[in-house]
Amino acid sequence: MSSGGSWCDLYFENTSIWSLVLRDSIVSSGGYHRDYGCGIRVLNGEKTGYAYTESTDMESLSKAAKAAGSIADSCSGGNFPQKSVKIEGRPDYYPMIQDLRQTQSGDFVPLLQELDKKIRQADSRVCNVIAMLSYSLSEILMYNSLDELSEDLRPLCSLALTVVFRQGKDIQTKNCSKSLRMGAEFYNESLLEELCSQVTDGVDALFEASRPQGGVMNVVMGAGASGILLHEAMGHAFEADFNRKGQSIFADKLGKRICKAGLNIVDDATLPFYRGSTNYDDEGVPGQKTYMVSDGILTSYLHDRISAAYYGVASTGNGRRESFRYYPIPRMRSTYMENGQDGTLEDLIHMAANGIYVNEFSNGEVKIGEGDFTFYVKSGYMIENGRLTRPIKDVNIIGNGPQALADIEAVASDLKIDEGKWTCGKGQNMPVSCGIPSVLIKNLTVGGGSL
Amino acid sequence: MISKQELELARKTLDFAKAEGAQACRVVLNKSESNILDSLCGELDKISHCLDRSLSLSLFIDGKYASFSTNRLEEKELADFTKSCAAITRMLEQDPCRKLPERERCCEEAQSGLELELYDPEYETLDEQKRKSLALQYCLDMKQRTEGYRIISEEGEYCDSEFDSISLDSQGLFCRHRETSFEYASEVTVEGEDGTKSSSYWWTSSSRLKELAYKEIGQIALRRAVSSLGAGSIKGGKYRMVVDSNVASKLLTPLLNALNGFSLQQNNSFLMDSLGQKVFSEKMNLVDRPHIKGESGSRLFDSEGVRTKDMDIIRNGIVNTYFINTYIAEKTGFEPTVEDSTRVQLLPYPEQGLSLEEILQRCGEGILVSGFNGGNSNSATGDFSYGVEGFEFKDGKIGKPVSGMLITGNFIDLWKHLLYAGADYRPCMSKLIPSLAFEDVSFSGE
Repeated sequence: MSSGGSWCDLYFENTSIWSLVLRDSIVSSGGYHRDYGCGIRVLNGEKTGYAYTESTDMESLSKAAKAAGSIADSCSGGNFPQKSVKIEGRPDYYPMIQDLRQTQSGDFVPLLQELDKKIRQADSRVCNVIAMLSYSLSEILMYNSLDELSEDLRPLCSLALTVVFRQGKDIQTKNCSKSLRMGAEFYNESLLEELCSQVTDGVDALFEASRPQGGVMNVVMGAGASGILLHEAMGHAFEADFNRKGQSIFADKLGKRICKAGLNIVDDATLPFYRGSTNYDDEGVPGQKTYMVSDGILTSYLHDRISAAYYGVASTGNGRRESFRYYPIPRMRSTYMENGQDGTLEDLIHMAANGIYVNEFSNGEVKIGEGDFTFYVKSGYMIENGRLTRPIKDVNIIGNGPQALADIEAVASDLKIDEGKWTCGKGQNMPVSCGIPSVLIKNLTVGGGSL
Repeated sequence: MISKQELELARKTLDFAKAEGAQACRVVLNKSESNILDSLCGELDKISHCLDRSLSLSLFIDGKYASFSTNRLEEKELADFTKSCAAITRMLEQDPCRKLPERERCCEEAQSGLELELYDPEYETLDEQKRKSLALQYCLDMKQRTEGYRIISEEGEYCDSEFDSISLDSQGLFCRHRETSFEYASEVTVEGEDGTKSSSYWWTSSSRLKELAYKEIGQIALRRAVSSLGAGSIKGGKYRMVVDSNVASKLLTPLLNALNGFSLQQNNSFLMDSLGQKVFSEKMNLVDRPHIKGESGSRLFDSEGVRTKDMDIIRNGIVNTYFINTYIAEKTGFEPTVEDSTRVQLLPYPEQGLSLEEILQRCGEGILVSGFNGGNSNSATGDFSYGVEGFEFKDGKIGKPVSGMLITGNFIDLWKHLLYAGADYRPCMSKLIPSLAFEDVSFSGE
């Protein structure tokens, strides 16, 4: 800061990642990866200088600090971050029962073998199973020029499956995964049962499924993974960096009604064990629960320290980064909608009358300025005369964020947070979670055949 | 860039691995430096300096295989690391197909790393002031006169980088690749008189600073953003689709993935059993040209150290090549080729080459796709569905902007309906795919 910076923070990281891959019924590849270093950020107002070093000797740190400090003589100053909100005690939303540091990755070889056997026994159409087991542990130490010191120990365990099924000449694939911030206790018998069921359920429908006629229609989104709707349609647009730059379609909507009364949309760092949970964000701000929408009114953006200073509010603890190689930016954590009072999933399907019901997804995307979002549906069903009929698959859905929010007609009371391996890719890959109760939305455009 | 001491550490790691009982091993040492300067509305917003080193180690011990990496490059740490890696490898199951590639398939021509002339010595002359000047000199004038819209923001990004990679293995492989890269990108957001917003981007890159033609990048991004104001969906149905060269590779990447040995071996490819078969339109000719000097993306060797070569991937619609690495060759009995494509190019049809404007003229009426918004495809069936944006065109002339629409189909069917492939690929892209035209594409909209 000797060059004139108004704020500085240091982010030390020591991450180990272990992996095993089962393919062709043998665990024939695996790996271990270490990443170690320190990121140094200097702020001058809202301007950022950033550098990192993979060596933490004083000479390397000084060199990186000088490079980061070069921002200070490039721009004029402005607001600078305030001390973060203090919380009582040290939070731990992801305690490990079995410490991952005491685990040998090779110990999980029999678990993968058993999973392969279970899946093949569950469905005779299985012709290939790829199982990827990976877990990581990050030791984080953060210190800043406000004399705030924080540390975090972040475990992350995952098991992901791709299974190929053959029925006659037809081939179909199914993917599923589970990922939580836990110790080695994550890998247990019930995990195998759960994933085996997930990946082998609904295979008949997969082979029967076809594409619907494309067009604008009612869409009922099932509880859980449909939370991708919130992530793409509104979550990104609520990230304050886009709003600070005036780019977001929600940039002038703070304090205004954006959806029907009674709807609450939350971004939450405090759900125990979820991928999106953070004891501290990557700027040392304690994890917290943030209401983005309360009773239908947009009440808060998602802030890192820079955007919080710009808006004159406290950071919401959303400053996150992929690793020490990146500076933090506002990112979602676990994003979900609270329960509604419009009945059950069946009630929503009945209300929709005609349209589609969707329950499995792969990926989504959004254009922040225009608010146009899409997500890809792996499976679902047609809704005809208020009942589920033919299975459907492989269609993209497109909508506009503010419009889709306004078009939410009904929300069930079956909130579920999905435990899949969701990763958000806004320039940096970030583990997140998403969830939602079943919802009915009118007027979404569904991809499909045309006459 | 990689020092003699770092190279010596890589060699020592091979020795450590052999001492731990590895019958074969490979070390890849990567080192890179990059400088990124972001601007916001003509002012410097962020400066990042990145310096990365990593050592990847592949071990083959008693028929078992695993791969590892670390960025702790001290001799003692590497010795301990290799010991841990060997212990992990021994806990896995045997797979006799895991081997290093045959020595005669490996590259011997990449000794200095400079053979492909992708390294620009001017990189070494850049300093902080010069970089700041490069980052800011062509930013948009935010006060420029506008009619019918206002510029909300321009985010510019200048980036220069240097990359150096050395591959060594226990059979005596030594390959090196060095390159520099200079990139500039601009994203502009505008607001129309009715309050609707539109964003667009443009970018360019080159391995040589002098060839980085970026003076107009911000203006192009601005034009693209303004031209999309007021976009909306139109009636769904079957249309002729023209895809701008800027985004056309989106429709080719799934084909390359389907030709990859891993997908084929796992029965997870819609191009199973397609080798030698006429699958696509005979207008489709896809080649790999990995050795063009001075062109970004060129490379003399793949990730196994295997020599890359010119290949016909698809010739007159016939599948000519699968991408088969050593492991998949052993697994399947296919002849090994290379791990993946390097610098693919879709050749023009008709051969004399058409511009985008000429393609639009020939197509007459349809939808020009200038951007994709999400979507995906089914790797086993080739079924796809993507969000698209672009423009209607009639009588070969671009008209109303279009957004919020989806295209849906199957890749084999789509490429059977290829009408034209232009000659306007962008050299700065990793896949050299020109503007394309297809018949009878299903669009969902109003």
